[in-house]
Amino acid sequence: MTGAWRWLREHAINIYAGLAIAYLLIPIAVIIVFSFNDPAGKYNFNWVGFTLEHWRNAFGISDLNDALKTSIELAVLATVISTAIGTAMALALVRHEFVGRRPANFLIVVPMATPEVVMGASLLSMFLIYGIGLGFQTLLIAHVMFCISFVVVTVRSRLIGFDRSLEEAAQDLGADPWTTFRKVTFPLILPGIVAAALLAFALSIDDFVVSNFNSGTTVTFPLYIFGAAQRGIPVEVNVIATLLFLTTVCAMLFTVWQQRRAERMTQARPQQEGEPAIPIPAGSAASG
Amino acid sequence: MTSVRRRLVPYFLLGPGIIWLILFFAVPMYFMARLSLYSGTVFQGNLQFDWHWANFKDSLDLYHSQFVRSFIYAGAATLIALVISYPLAYAIAFKGGRWKNAMLLAVVAPFFTTYLIRTIAWETILSDQSPVVKVLTDVGLATNGHVLATAGAVIAGITYNFLPFMVLPLYASLERIDPALIEAGRDLYGSPAAVFRKVTLPLSAPGLVAGTLLTFIPAAGDYVNAFFLGAPNNQMIGNVIQDLYLKQTDYPAAAALSFILMALIMVVFVVYIRFAGSEALMGEEARP
Amino acid sequence: MSLKPLRTTLVAASVLAAALALAACGSGGIGGGGSENVSTVTVTGKPSGELVISNWPLYIDKQTVPDFEKATGIKVKYIEDVNDNAEFFGKMQPLLAQGQSGGRSLFVVTDWMAAKMHELGYLQNLDKSAIPNVEKNLVPQLRHPSFDPNRDFSVPWQSGMTGLIVRTDLAPEIHSICDLFNPKYKGKVDMLTEMRDTVPLVMKSGCNGNPPVDLSHATEQDWLNAIDEIKQAAESGQIRRFTGNDYARDLTSGDVDAVIGWSGDAVQLQADNPNIKFVMPKEGCMLWSDNMVIPVGAPNPTAAEAWMNYVYDPKHQAQIEDYVNYVSPVQGTKQVLLKMDPSVANNQLIFPSASFTKNCDVAPTLTGAEEQKVTQAFNAVVNG
Repeated sequence: MTGAWRWLREHAINIYAGLAIAYLLIPIAVIIVFSFNDPAGKYNFNWVGFTLEHWRNAFGISDLNDALKTSIELAVLATVISTAIGTAMALALVRHEFVGRRPANFLIVVPMATPEVVMGASLLSMFLIYGIGLGFQTLLIAHVMFCISFVVVTVRSRLIGFDRSLEEAAQDLGADPWTTFRKVTFPLILPGIVAAALLAFALSIDDFVVSNFNSGTTVTFPLYIFGAAQRGIPVEVNVIATLLFLTTVCAMLFTVWQQRRAERMTQARPQQEGEPAIPIPAGSAASG
Repeated sequence: MTSVRRRLVPYFLLGPGIIWLILFFAVPMYFMARLSLYSGTVFQGNLQFDWHWANFKDSLDLYHSQFVRSFIYAGAATLIALVISYPLAYAIAFKGGRWKNAMLLAVVAPFFTTYLIRTIAWETILSDQSPVVKVLTDVGLATNGHVLATAGAVIAGITYNFLPFMVLPLYASLERIDPALIEAGRDLYGSPAAVFRKVTLPLSAPGLVAGTLLTFIPAAGDYVNAFFLGAPNNQMIGNVIQDLYLKQTDYPAAAALSFILMALIMVVFVVYIRFAGSEALMGEEARP
Repeated sequence: MSLKPLRTTLVAASVLAAALALAACGSGGIGGGGSENVSTVTVTGKPSGELVISNWPLYIDKQTVPDFEKATGIKVKYIEDVNDNAEFFGKMQPLLAQGQSGGRSLFVVTDWMAAKMHELGYLQNLDKSAIPNVEKNLVPQLRHPSFDPNRDFSVPWQSGMTGLIVRTDLAPEIHSICDLFNPKYKGKVDMLTEMRDTVPLVMKSGCNGNPPVDLSHATEQDWLNAIDEIKQAAESGQIRRFTGNDYARDLTSGDVDAVIGWSGDAVQLQADNPNIKFVMPKEGCMLWSDNMVIPVGAPNPTAAEAWMNYVYDPKHQAQIEDYVNYVSPVQGTKQVLLKMDPSVANNQLIFPSASFTKNCDVAPTLTGAEEQKVTQAFNAVVNG
């Protein structure tokens, strides 16, 4: 009996971790399962029967498609802009000396810790006072704003762990700073940039609160859901949510795989056993 | 590149981002403050800037209980999240081994589904008819088969939705602990409990600080969970601000409340940082 | 990073200074009410082009829009984004204040909101020459409402009744608004976020020992007293939620026994679950209309008026009515439906008799400071 008890104690924490992860995945399972539901009325709350109809017809609701299209366009633009801006900032912060480092850090960190309600409300206040029409442009502005901080932190954490001896080698071989950057640095930090872009994309496509305040009559995917929640969310929403989920997970896995490859190529320093490949910024994840 | 141009590079790199953040994060705060001093409402057609300080007192009179409630719910959720997350982060950092990446992905992946749908999934899981609620009632955690539309449901929702904000920073700082220190601790203290208390826990303090702040602050302003999972007497200050801005178009009162929320959050932020050490939040800043 | 106080203060101060400079050129963008002079639509030529309509969800059948498009050649974009009057106002107001309508030429809002928008100068007056069907077929009792005595700027889309919708299998004894305050149903009732439905019902039902209020003479204090009753019920957990259309979900799932709800929803819900029934409260119901209006800046008011005229043809109206199941404002619809779908024609909820609605009232109007005070008090209750 003591053998089993000891086994339990040793593995207790792993069992716990398994349970915790299961807890995290329960709602996801519910979402996916209910995408196969065949509800009687408008409301998809009770399991009725299995059907593939909504999967076959996933893009059958035009309002939903429009909202999704808007969300994707918005997310792509916001990602491109914020990743470019954020990467540049990260490079400056890690690689250069300049005046005003502390206020800059402060300005970058504070948006990550501000309640979205306050960010959304303050932007709305400004747009109202200036009489600026709310719509796609104001949404884009807002999305880029809150993505920048996360991009900076993600890319920065990649840059810090970066081994500069390769750059030095390139320069010894006669390359100027710009060429060094283009041919050595950039390809090596690319996985970090891609991870940051992925994060920005997820943040943008998922954003509800800030969008709710600044969208006017434009409808994004989360806003569509919010409106539909009152009168019955169509099953197709579950289908699309599942698709988005699977796509993002695959993209993440792909990034991880790419990073593994990149790291194997830069075995300049011995890797710690079990060091993760996913860049972990000090607290960030896709959220509402 | 000339020396002067070299010195200017960081400013060019930082420029766009800093300007964007100032224009669309910092400046709107000013406008929100300004809007809070307007009198009248849009509905009456008499909205104007008026140094109307009464807005602050009036809206606090009406809604102070929501403020208190928000901080209580956010505090409870943060505490519970901490209790759930710490062992999980510990397991991933120290016992993860080959599975580290998979576990991290499992923690982060659920948050690639839309925030709203996740919360609505909880509505399904916790609805009065569901088997989960029946089990909870039998166990005694729920009263008369009724979990939704209670404070418990809202807190549970907040905890779930902000879990990664707690797990990831904790993981990051735990993972960074030099194993040699743990070894030394074992030699010194012997019992695993003592090692944990005297070595691991203090070394994970930066992660604790970051995680707690990054969970508590956004949670205090959240309204989605209360909207879907709560009753009228569970509404948080975020709900009020949203309602006042978007439904009642009572902009001055809404801006006043939002400003007060932001001020309170800033106080929490500054106090916490002073107390816990400002280095904690900028974990990466420990290295240049 | 230590928050070096001085440097941060300097940065903050310079940001503030910049912002103040910016603000100096900030104009009165908000609350700039529409112009003083209300413009009137002049219908020019044959209706054509594109028509964008905003309406409440599930307020039209699937055939009417395609039929209209075929009959007139106008391309219609029909958006169901009016979920709540105040919310829609909040969304549209910044645009309307600038004289724009966000592309819409027609929307549908309830009486009091139409009145308010007109007051603020956000609506246009109608060209009556283009809507002869309305002139001919509008039912007499809706021709001269107090908020628009000559129907200058509004045309009813549908009318309805607000009363009780009950799960008769779970709570067969509910027959009065006051029953919703009975502790027996604690946590199993919903009320509407629509203040002008919920509060007048409570006022005139005289619950919790209070005398019933005559709505035509309701004072601000009467409103506030009723709101206080509701407040106590909300705080004690008697009321599960304040809802819009989404009470339907709570009823269907059995999470509630009864709600304050709208007659048309009851007809539709009953089709899915025969145990869900509209119950006319003992003390009477509230009557309301949703109205088609044309906003300022409407890109195609000619087409909008063509739409109004089209739906006031009893044949077309019957088609809408058969699906929507609210109370039709168009005379002659019942006759058409008697042949098309007699069950609808004979439904008291869709074609109510005078005796059915004998105790029903229209919500009293609120204005000015009174409106602001009452609205704020009610919001404070709904928001917990």
